[in-house]
Amino acid sequence: MAPKASSFVGPGALDVSFEVNGHPATVHIPPHRTLLDTLRETLGLTGAKKVCDEGTCGACTVLVDGKAVYSCMTLAIACEGRSVETVEGLARDGQLHPVQQAFIDHDAFQCGFCTPGQLMSIAALLRSNGAPSEEDVTRAVTGNLCRCGAYPNIVAAGVAAARKAGRA
Amino acid sequence: MTRVIRTRVEFEGNISEELAVIQGSDLTRWGPGHELSSVGKPVARADGAARVTGGAKYTQDLFLPGMLHARILRSPYPRARVRRVDASRALRLPGVRAVLHRFNAPRAAFRGEETIFREEVRFVGDEVAAVAAETAEIAAEALRLIEVEYEVLPFVVDLEEAIREGAPRLEEKGNVSESGTHKRGDSAKALKESKIVVDAAYRTSTQLHNSLETHGAVASWDGDRLTVWESTQHVFGVRQGLHLALRIPMTKIRVVCDFMGGGFGSKGGVGKYTIVAALFTRQLGAPVRCVLSREEENLAAGNRSATLQHLRLGWKDGRVHGAEHHSWSNSGQGRWVADPTGPTDTLYDFTNVTSKSYRVVTNTGALASFRAPGYVEGTFALESALDELAQRVAIDPLTLRTRHLVTGKDPKTGMRYSFKRLAECYEIGAREIGWDKRKDGGVRGSTPQRRRGIGMASQIWGGGGGPPAYATVHINPDGTALLRTGTQDIGTGTRTVMAQICAEELRLDVDAVRVELGDTDGPYGPISAGSLTLASVGPAVRLAAADARTQLVALAAGILEVPAKELRLERGQVISSGAKTPLREVLKQVENFTVIGKGSRFPNPQETALKTFGAHFVSVEVDLRTGEIIPLHVVAVHDVGRIVNPRTAASQVEGGVIQALGFALTEERVLDLPTGRVLTADLESYKVPTVRDVPRITVRFVDQPDRVANNLGAKGLGEPPIIPTAAALANAVANATGVRVRTAPLTPARVLEAIALASAQR
Amino acid sequence: MKPFGYARPRSVAEATRLLGDDAVAIAGGTDQLGLMKSGIAVPERLVSLSGLTDLDGWTRERGKGLRIGALTPLTDLETSAGFARILPVVPQALALAATPQLRTMGTVGGNLLQKTRCWYYRDEAFPCWLKGGTRCFALEGDNRHHAVLGAEECVSASPSDLAPALIAYDASVELRGARGGRTIALADLYQAPHGAKRAEHTIRATEVLTAVRIPEAALARRATFLKAMDRKAWSFAVVSVSVAARVRDGKARDVRIVLGGVAPIPWRARSAETILEGRALDDATCRAAADGAFADAEPLKDNGHKVTIGRELVRRALRSLADA
Ligand SMILES: Cc1cc2nc3c(=O)[nH]c(=O)nc-3n(C[C@H](O)[C@H](O)[C@H](O)COP(=O)(O)OP(=O)(O)OC[C@H]3O[C@@H](n4cnc5c(N)ncnc54)[C@H](O)[C@@H]3O)c2cc1C
Ligand code: FES
Ligand code: FES
Repeated sequence: MAPKASSFVGPGALDVSFEVNGHPATVHIPPHRTLLDTLRETLGLTGAKKVCDEGTCGACTVLVDGKAVYSCMTLAIACEGRSVETVEGLARDGQLHPVQQAFIDHDAFQCGFCTPGQLMSIAALLRSNGAPSEEDVTRAVTGNLCRCGAYPNIVAAGVAAARKAGRA
Repeated sequence: MTRVIRTRVEFEGNISEELAVIQGSDLTRWGPGHELSSVGKPVARADGAARVTGGAKYTQDLFLPGMLHARILRSPYPRARVRRVDASRALRLPGVRAVLHRFNAPRAAFRGEETIFREEVRFVGDEVAAVAAETAEIAAEALRLIEVEYEVLPFVVDLEEAIREGAPRLEEKGNVSESGTHKRGDSAKALKESKIVVDAAYRTSTQLHNSLETHGAVASWDGDRLTVWESTQHVFGVRQGLHLALRIPMTKIRVVCDFMGGGFGSKGGVGKYTIVAALFTRQLGAPVRCVLSREEENLAAGNRSATLQHLRLGWKDGRVHGAEHHSWSNSGQGRWVADPTGPTDTLYDFTNVTSKSYRVVTNTGALASFRAPGYVEGTFALESALDELAQRVAIDPLTLRTRHLVTGKDPKTGMRYSFKRLAECYEIGAREIGWDKRKDGGVRGSTPQRRRGIGMASQIWGGGGGPPAYATVHINPDGTALLRTGTQDIGTGTRTVMAQICAEELRLDVDAVRVELGDTDGPYGPISAGSLTLASVGPAVRLAAADARTQLVALAAGILEVPAKELRLERGQVISSGAKTPLREVLKQVENFTVIGKGSRFPNPQETALKTFGAHFVSVEVDLRTGEIIPLHVVAVHDVGRIVNPRTAASQVEGGVIQALGFALTEERVLDLPTGRVLTADLESYKVPTVRDVPRITVRFVDQPDRVANNLGAKGLGEPPIIPTAAALANAVANATGVRVRTAPLTPARVLEAIALASAQR
Repeated sequence: MKPFGYARPRSVAEATRLLGDDAVAIAGGTDQLGLMKSGIAVPERLVSLSGLTDLDGWTRERGKGLRIGALTPLTDLETSAGFARILPVVPQALALAATPQLRTMGTVGGNLLQKTRCWYYRDEAFPCWLKGGTRCFALEGDNRHHAVLGAEECVSASPSDLAPALIAYDASVELRGARGGRTIALADLYQAPHGAKRAEHTIRATEVLTAVRIPEAALARRATFLKAMDRKAWSFAVVSVSVAARVRDGKARDVRIVLGGVAPIPWRARSAETILEGRALDDATCRAAADGAFADAEPLKDNGHKVTIGRELVRRALRSLADA
């Protein structure tokens, strides 16, 4: 049930519906539940990682209505009626997304814990910008920490994916 | 023939004796003429697809049916006695299942103590109690309801305050204890004889690992068997720790780590959170998850010790005549300390050396190994001091180092180096950075207020690995292979390089080898630390694959009725003078037989020093008015023997350099001295490098197999690339600005202070 | 986070009715949720402003200046070519603020109303003065990030990069309460915490910030934003400098120098502005103004560098106006 316009819902749980990776989903959650916890614990989508839970690392990055956001700083209830995309939805019909393939080709990860977030940031960029430059890719992942220091390869992979996507 | 051997192994600067079992004889290294099909190739990561699709399951991602969530109550005081714990209100909260604390927890040995909840808590973040509840949220709420009565005690958190006379005494023997010493020649006399002496104090700050995946475990008691999933660098170490803590037989414990999100040394064994999860699952019968928050990670999960180092280098007759290095490390509540004086003892052939290192206890979280512990800190001091000396005596810093390049033997132990190509590292690095264009006093930068400079520093580290390490290779009926070894892939690409080595010996394609690791139900593998995984496990893998190949060939000989010596394997085919039979056809004939190859790591040659070497060259631009340092280019050159996978190896080096830049420029744990709290327990105030902080990085390898070390000729690469960057950068800053910053990180505040001091002295 | 009730009104009037001492506004949530997760804010109810679509976007009407809706995401101002032509200093400042994700989520109103990042304020364990306690822990503790100017009982530093840039253009803000609206200078939205007032902002609990306005006349100014950070990105300002002026025949008029990160509120260096009025922006004059901007600075034990860096950035920013 969507929160009614002029009154309060909660603090108990209520139904919230949104689209996840193209499929409709309804979850029964209290208003204070974050999108990250909802994805990981309620929907079993553990691709987005919880590293800081306070908007300081980027590992939880997902797309809401096509834009990269931190799901740990997004309330699930605020996603009512919107479309959410996670790393699990990037590949289509068994075919890796160009940025996923580019990450493998360029060794753009080490431990891989930041990877889902990095991928989503670049995927959002590719959607809004058909021919991003190296600077654009760098800017897109400025909000995604990688403690292993895979940055040079992450940027290289992003640029390569953009080229490939541009050609396709 | 099976034999038990005793052998000496180096781990993070310490030598220890190990017992190991070996079988048969070792293989010889591949010669220069041998054409390798997989080893040495830039193979893409074996687990790449899992990592890019979200399919890779980390400990944090495990949500088992009926699982309970544990949270830990931590001391708000740096030192206090826990007088009373009242958990009754917490227990009344719906959803809370149990609370453990020092008055009710079963005995559990941990790091020399008999409990995980001690009477005297000794740092902010020390464990006081734990809650298990149906959700993490309920557990967190319950923590607030536990009432604890503390008797607050005098404390000290700062390294230099703890050393001072009159500081609260934290241990019976005092706060300072000697942890290492080396002496050769007579440094006191040598320094007296020296015309010029550099005498300076260097400081490095506490660095926090901040692996993106925090420490954590999920434990599940199933009948009489305990299974623990843990984000760890050492599944067998966790098993051992649980065995000691809970007094249950090792055979009843299985520890699994499939994927893990970084450790950098901090995840070397069992943690209190592991024991908490295990105690609760035993008590409550349900699986229990205990995963630390970011804040807890930065209070209680380890750090690189802050150091104060005093260096004296004396100059006479065109050489470093005497060297003295005294170092104090803030070990927090740690029971050991990493030795920063190692580089002074071993990097150069100084004749007269005295070094001493001290462990200082304080009321802060225990240190944990952090990528080349001690050597990062020590190299910063030594290599900075050496440049200060070069400046004083007007000698090119690289020339000074070349003059003291030890060639044949480790100057500390007198043992012969197995292989050393440091001079080549210097040559390559100097060429790549343009050392010949380096000017004393630096050059103009991109604006009138900015100056540019170049600096360099050298690196020495272990990385020879050693026994024990074991592996098995199963050949599947379709001719593909399953390699099992109990090591773990902490992001270094272990799965991939082991598959390459296995594929090489079996002449299979790399993707025909599946690697199963991170499981104590597999053959023993050592800790993934100390840059030893490849050099320890790789040779065992090669032997296991070779064993499987020999058996396969014998089997094929029987079935094809061709003498074994006329057969060889190539890309899944059995080849005999012109004829090719797919392996799968051969195996079909004996469908119910599994070929199992076994391999074990043979001992290192005794009385030989297995070391890795390297040099970093850094160019920077410095803003003289704002103190900002802009690294422009880092050239990292390493001599680590054979490079098994140039692609993943380059990634390791880049990652090491970037972490070193954090240490050099931005990373610093800040404590509130009046309360002992960590002010930088989050990723906003504790600044790890972002993509914008990364300069151009050039990676080069000498890439020649070590002629003595193990059957691969390969040594470790995990730690070497983090060692020399900070010193090289500080030297570049000094070259650019003419001022020396002796404290890491080199923040704008410190750069400005050094500039102000220099201009006041002028 | 403590559970809370949640409402998503469709109009400002409804929102103001719902807001109160225990019912707090949330826009992008990037600051509000952070405060709630660390236990600094524990509201009973949240009133989401995300349904107030009228407040999302900016318009410019000739003669009436620029109006920016409070719910406009920061990214929209950062990336709009049209906006950059009108007020380029804002995208300049935003590009250095936080991260792309945070700028997508964060709104103009939320940025202006975000709370200080003081590490004592943000740690629940310190009952600091600003949170209603008895003292400012930063005075005795580690104060490298704290204020050098304009502090009273609390030496926290103002975090926003956007506020100083807008103040340099004489921005005002529209506030709507249950009983009507008011428009005040953006500079007056801030007041250094002092005495009974333990907050950096002057907005009332029941008010909604609806828009930021820039007067037409101010749009003729040119401006520069410079920011010193502890790392190259994703850092609050050590010091940020926003300068704006009308430069005609080499002479500066309507000079504004507004500093971030150095005082509990965005700090206008008025005496330094006066030095420059009607003068050429040569190096000596700019240097004198830069010194003037920090003449009253009272650095603490750990933050003297803010003065050195701040002076240099003011000088550079002013010089760049001459060169522009
Ligand atoms: C890690 C990190 C780094 C950051 N770095 C920077 C930086 O470098 N520079 C910088 O400037 N900022 C930075 N920020 C701050 C960020 O820009 C702000 O958090 C964001 O702009 C706030 O917008 P919001 O819409 O999310 O506000 P919210 O979090 O929703 O709200 C913030 C406050 O404003 C109130 N509020 C919001 N909108 C209204 C309104 N219309 N009417 C009345 N009250 C309202 C809320 O009640 C709350 O008190 C950073 C934040 C984080 C987490
Ligand atoms: S987990 Fe969301 S930003 Fe770190
Ligand atoms: S790959 Fe480990 S954090 Fe990025």
